[in-house]
Amino acid sequence: MNNGVGDVILEARNLTKEFPSGSRRRRFGPRPTFRAVDNVSLSLRLGEVVSLVGQSGSGKSTVARLLAQLYKQTSGQILLDGEEIAATSGRAFIDYCGSVQMILQDPFASLNPLHKISYILGRALKIHSPELRSAEIREHSLALLQRVNLRPADRYIDRFPHELSGGERQRISFARALAANPRILLADEPVSMLDVTIRKEMLDLLNVLRVEENLAVLYVTHDLASTWSYSDETLVMYEGSVVERGNSKDIIDAPQHEYTKRLLAAAPDPARRRTR
Amino acid sequence: MKITSLWPKSGKVRAGLIIVIFFIALALFGPLIAHYSPEATGSDVLSPPTLKHWLGTTQTGEDIFSQFVNGARLSMLVGLFVAVFSNIFAVVVGMIGGYFRGVTDAGMYIITSVFLIIPGLPLLIVLTAYIPSRGLLSIAIVIAVTSWAGTARVLRAQTLSLRKRDFVEAARATGESRWRIIFAEIIPSEVPLIASGFLFMVIGGILAEAGLSFLGLGSLTTVSWGSMLYFAESGQAFLYGAWWWFVPPGLAIAVIGAGLALINFGIDEYADPRLRTGRKLKKSDRRGTRALEGGMTSLRTSLADEPEAVGDPTIDARAALNDEYERAAAVIRPPRRLPGETILDIRHVRVDYPTAHGTVHGVRDVSLVLRRGEILGLAGESGSGKSTLTNTVARLLRAPAQVIGGEVLYSRPGQLPVDVLKFSAEELRRFRWAELSVVFQSAMNALNPVISIWGQFDDVLRVHRPSMKKSERLALAKDMLVRVGIDGDRVHSYPHELSGGMKQRVAIAIALVLNPDIIIMDEPTTALDLLVQREVIEQIMKLRDDFGFAVVFTTHDLALLLEISDSIAVMQAGRLVEYGPAEAIQTEAAHPYTRALLDSLAELGARL
Amino acid sequence: MKYFLRKLGLYAFIAWAAITLNFLIPRLMPGDPVGLLVNKLHGNIDPNAIAALKKAFGITNAPMINQYWDYLVNLSHGDLGVSLTYYPVPVSDVITSALPWTLGLVGITTIISFFVGTALGIWLSWRRGTWTDSIVPAMTFFSAVPYFWLALVLVLIFGVTLGWVPLSGAYDTGTTPGVNAPFIGSILQHAVLPAVTIVLASFAGWILGMRNMMMTTLGEDYVSMAEAKGLRTRTVMVRYAARNAILPSVTSFALALGSVVGGSILTEVIFNYPGVGYTLFLAVQSQDFPLMQGLFLIISLTVIVANLLADIIYIFLDPRTRSEG
Repeated sequence: MNNGVGDVILEARNLTKEFPSGSRRRRFGPRPTFRAVDNVSLSLRLGEVVSLVGQSGSGKSTVARLLAQLYKQTSGQILLDGEEIAATSGRAFIDYCGSVQMILQDPFASLNPLHKISYILGRALKIHSPELRSAEIREHSLALLQRVNLRPADRYIDRFPHELSGGERQRISFARALAANPRILLADEPVSMLDVTIRKEMLDLLNVLRVEENLAVLYVTHDLASTWSYSDETLVMYEGSVVERGNSKDIIDAPQHEYTKRLLAAAPDPARRRTR
Repeated sequence: MKITSLWPKSGKVRAGLIIVIFFIALALFGPLIAHYSPEATGSDVLSPPTLKHWLGTTQTGEDIFSQFVNGARLSMLVGLFVAVFSNIFAVVVGMIGGYFRGVTDAGMYIITSVFLIIPGLPLLIVLTAYIPSRGLLSIAIVIAVTSWAGTARVLRAQTLSLRKRDFVEAARATGESRWRIIFAEIIPSEVPLIASGFLFMVIGGILAEAGLSFLGLGSLTTVSWGSMLYFAESGQAFLYGAWWWFVPPGLAIAVIGAGLALINFGIDEYADPRLRTGRKLKKSDRRGTRALEGGMTSLRTSLADEPEAVGDPTIDARAALNDEYERAAAVIRPPRRLPGETILDIRHVRVDYPTAHGTVHGVRDVSLVLRRGEILGLAGESGSGKSTLTNTVARLLRAPAQVIGGEVLYSRPGQLPVDVLKFSAEELRRFRWAELSVVFQSAMNALNPVISIWGQFDDVLRVHRPSMKKSERLALAKDMLVRVGIDGDRVHSYPHELSGGMKQRVAIAIALVLNPDIIIMDEPTTALDLLVQREVIEQIMKLRDDFGFAVVFTTHDLALLLEISDSIAVMQAGRLVEYGPAEAIQTEAAHPYTRALLDSLAELGARL
Repeated sequence: MKYFLRKLGLYAFIAWAAITLNFLIPRLMPGDPVGLLVNKLHGNIDPNAIAALKKAFGITNAPMINQYWDYLVNLSHGDLGVSLTYYPVPVSDVITSALPWTLGLVGITTIISFFVGTALGIWLSWRRGTWTDSIVPAMTFFSAVPYFWLALVLVLIFGVTLGWVPLSGAYDTGTTPGVNAPFIGSILQHAVLPAVTIVLASFAGWILGMRNMMMTTLGEDYVSMAEAKGLRTRTVMVRYAARNAILPSVTSFALALGSVVGGSILTEVIFNYPGVGYTLFLAVQSQDFPLMQGLFLIISLTVIVANLLADIIYIFLDPRTRSEG
């Protein structure tokens, strides 16, 4: 098992995902398909952040879901610790989940409104550490809340999600992911639904966790600019394919591909303000 | 789920519960107080209600009260049996079909359709007619078999939508098993639907049993409300005017049905807060409903603009920060010298939301000035009150929001300013769109999905420009589309045939059609991709040059405002914290909140 | 178009299911229709007659699949067997004389109650927050009232006590059937009470459904935009809110129609109205199984056709179904 900073832990080779297209599946004959992800390869390294940047429909979220094995790839391989993984169900899948955890975009939708925070964190702990007793689970849950800066933790644990703000809910999502004690965190647009001031706090938290836990992080975003200070490597996706990849700062400072240039040029720029 | 008060606050639900509890008590204890056996005949024939026979007697002298209370037992038992069994069936079919999809779902969907569409009663009649000895149980089973489909269909649709929800995906990513997801995540979210299906199946079961018995197809050896009606009919009770014979059982069915439906109102209103009539939100009410209402996305959208209900200041740092923002004086700079005269003068506007936790001040004493041709950027995060403010100006505020003070003065050239907030209904109608139009955040939802683009241009023109001929209106609509960069022939398209960016352009074109003085743009580009946002922004700037309208542009994206606005107003927690020329905001922001906002933006890589 | 073909396929399947169900019920239900009939006659029946009866039912010793084939072939010729009550009148003739009465009565009242209920639902949602909200709970009573009981009460009040309308039948036997004023007047006179019963017992459901949908639709952005456009309130309510809110009502037609048909059968029985419901009742009473089966099949097929019509209307109402796929 690799443990050093910079060691490759999760690798995707030539991932391709096709979805049936059209509103309803055809019963007979070859199904028309739509290629959401086309031949994407990437490596996640411990303690490093890889950004996956693209607009809606670029396939970036699908890549994250393939890596989480929520979808099965049409072709290509996913290697954890150099070993190809295959299971999307059963014990093997749970083990895989223990290593690879995901954070979803919408903090309002990703927590079941019917469950208290204690249940949400408790389940995640119970699945991945079945030996824990209920008192220990509560203790661990409180510790998780502390780790994501929800303090005092005992004022959060018995609340329902809708009693919390968007930023607080997203921290709960982080805590739930950490409950599995993962080595890889897949963050699918973790801040795009949050207010600007909270976005920064959230990305800072992600950064702290990465360093402290030595996590490999995939940061999926539509906001190319935010990758400059928060990630090591950036992949720009367009219509299912990676069109440009490289050091995050280099890509923003000196984009090579036409699409990346257009994206950067489209960002709001006060310098463009016309003087009237 | 904590239920702080078991006794519901809604009058409708209370009435329903009282009715249902009354009948349950009647069914349980009624036979104990009845003096006669329901089948015992007597010498008092067709007697109207007396002290001896509380509800009178039948043609053969049976005591109707005894029959009635015994009938209550059987009819309600049948209803309950039917509801329990067909509900279980409906849940299984709906859940499996919706969750597993594929061939299983296709098969189940078709079977459900068959049972849904083939009319129940004729099928019941044919089925029961073949049963040699019709006991109550076999009748109940047959009814249960024919009445599950409606609920199954509803549950399938709900499961289909739930399984795509993020919290289900999150549970899968956590490693939860399929069954655990179905039983712990999906089914609890469907409890309102299952409960409402249950109530209607009880009614349906009672009605079906009564109908069958009435036709002589029920179990006529046992006394139910249906068989009472059968004997009343065959005994020609109504020819004798013996109302006491057939009125009680039928009335009881209708009243129980109404009672169950009233309870269902409560369920519906929990599930969809918009159905609630009036403002009856009391503290305990909300507590009781919280677990259910959180499940509905509708609630989120309906509350999107309401100030976020922050309970205790939980993160001390954040509380301290808010205190700091609150204490800092608002920074109001003199507006930059602009050629145009003032067109909209917003003075000391205050808007309140009475909520469960007391009154929330949505807009706190905000004053702004818009000049002819100016772009005024209104920046703020969720709950800052920016949309509340623009909705006040456009007079689109919905209950429970209330304007409690201030004026919005609109100036027509060469006339005295008038207060928009004091317009009569007719003045308002004339003012709207002709002088002030609105571009909504999501064109996806702002265009009527069932009317063509042309229709949505045309209704404006017919109302505001009654003298225009149809050919002129059509030409104008096409011209407007061309101006926002869309082929004029697309005017006959429906909204779903256009991409997101095109829809937003269409919305802008419609907003421009009467050449208004002011356009309120409420986050017009937030839902769009960056590249599309850029195109739409360029379009807006060009049109502004062509037409010369003034814009109030709200967004949370301060960087965008710094690029496009003449002046910028920053709102936080309902308060105007900083207001002035855009350059001043960029270079010398003075309020701590504005500075925090700019710092966050810079940190996130925005060019400032 | 694809949407329409898909629906058409589904209804074709449901029709086939109804036809097959109709074939299977007499063969799979525990009771044996012929045995039941024989019992009814207390065994006073010639063994040859039993064989003839079995043949009339199509229940032979031939393999099920052959029976099924014969059944389908007969059905395609419109042959539904021979009625036992009206022996030897073919079932199809009995149905043909009953069907127009039901189509007229139930068809017209269903349309009336749909429009009245929908219009009232719009009106109630428009006036939400006023005293009219208290009408809504009262509607639940009407939505739960059994049709036949309501019919009995109306008969008692308007037929027996007040004597305003005739108690039974579809027209006065004293009139000559045909296009003449007394006959048509008599038909209307006889239809009033059954029609009122069906409308009263079914319109509450449309009101409640429409009001609920309107409340949801009124929160949509496009309604806000219509308001902001300065359109007249009526235009906003009808062209924007109601126009969208009515779509689910049309889809839920399937759910509602079944119960309306069921209720109408019972209503016809009370009024001795010579439609399919009353005929079905008579068939059940006299254990006329071929007639019963034939009626079940016709009622089911009619409801399927009505659903297909509702779906065609839906296609016209919702442009999104037209361009899909």
